[in-house]
Amino acid sequence: MTRLRHSKKEVEEAIRYAEQNNWRVEVGGSHAWGKMYCPINDKDCRCGEFCITSINSTPRNAVTHAKQIRRVVDKCKHQQSTREEG
Amino acid sequence: MTKEYEFTLKYKLPGQEYDADKLAAELYENGCDDALIGIGVAGKIALEFVREATSAEVAILSAHQDVLNLLPEATLIEAMPDYVGLTDIAEIVAVSRQQVRKLYENNAGFPAPLHEGKSGLWHLAETLNWIEQNKSYSFDPLVMEVAKINLELNLASRAKPSSTKLISNYTSNSQVIKEYLVTTSATFSAKQALSSTAEVA
Repeated sequence: MTRLRHSKKEVEEAIRYAEQNNWRVEVGGSHAWGKMYCPINDKDCRCGEFCITSINSTPRNAVTHAKQIRRVVDKCKHQQSTREEG
Repeated sequence: MTKEYEFTLKYKLPGQEYDADKLAAELYENGCDDALIGIGVAGKIALEFVREATSAEVAILSAHQDVLNLLPEATLIEAMPDYVGLTDIAEIVAVSRQQVRKLYENNAGFPAPLHEGKSGLWHLAETLNWIEQNKSYSFDPLVMEVAKINLELNLASRAKPSSTKLISNYTSNSQVIKEYLVTTSATFSAKQALSSTAEVA
């Protein structure tokens, strides 16, 4: 799949991690770098506001921004598995 | 010396007509470039900060001010973590939920819940304080510092008009915020907003 890469290596890697976990990534608009959409994103989803996460093109700290993106994905995964366990 | 404080601020927007994309970009450009912004719920916005500051108070109040500079009409829903359940507490002190449940059930001194239903709710700062004094569990002292400030900010931001003094202390606590602005490359708009609140005061 071709899409524009994020200019910060760490952030780009985190975005790929999100994609590997079935998050849909949308680049562009005229504003932030882009957005990522949780694969569930329905009324039962518990990501809440982070079901759609805005990705900054120029974060103050790319490593931290990347870490936060991964955490959103992991939290969502965790909640999916918790739900499957019932 | 500065430390990295992690916290999330969640706001209700004053209407539905916001272009969430644009709003997030503007927040990123106006002092919130140390946050990750969630826009998945219409009419709301959440900012997960990792902010470097000299104290949790400086970090959280300056972040809140950064948001209010752009969105003066936004209502703070919650500065998190503050309201927590047993599962959240267990995660923070790295023990099982069952162990925390036992602490609550077997100790009369454990803080009373704010709400009890299917699951209970506590203020994190109160429970960590009790755990610190009564148990040998270890947890990140920065989380405790953040939880204390979040508790104060949440109570102050929802206080009734009779408590507006506290609110104004928090929303225009210029000393604390100035201190933050000195330690970071502050945006022009933030400084401007501060001087205008100073005039009002």
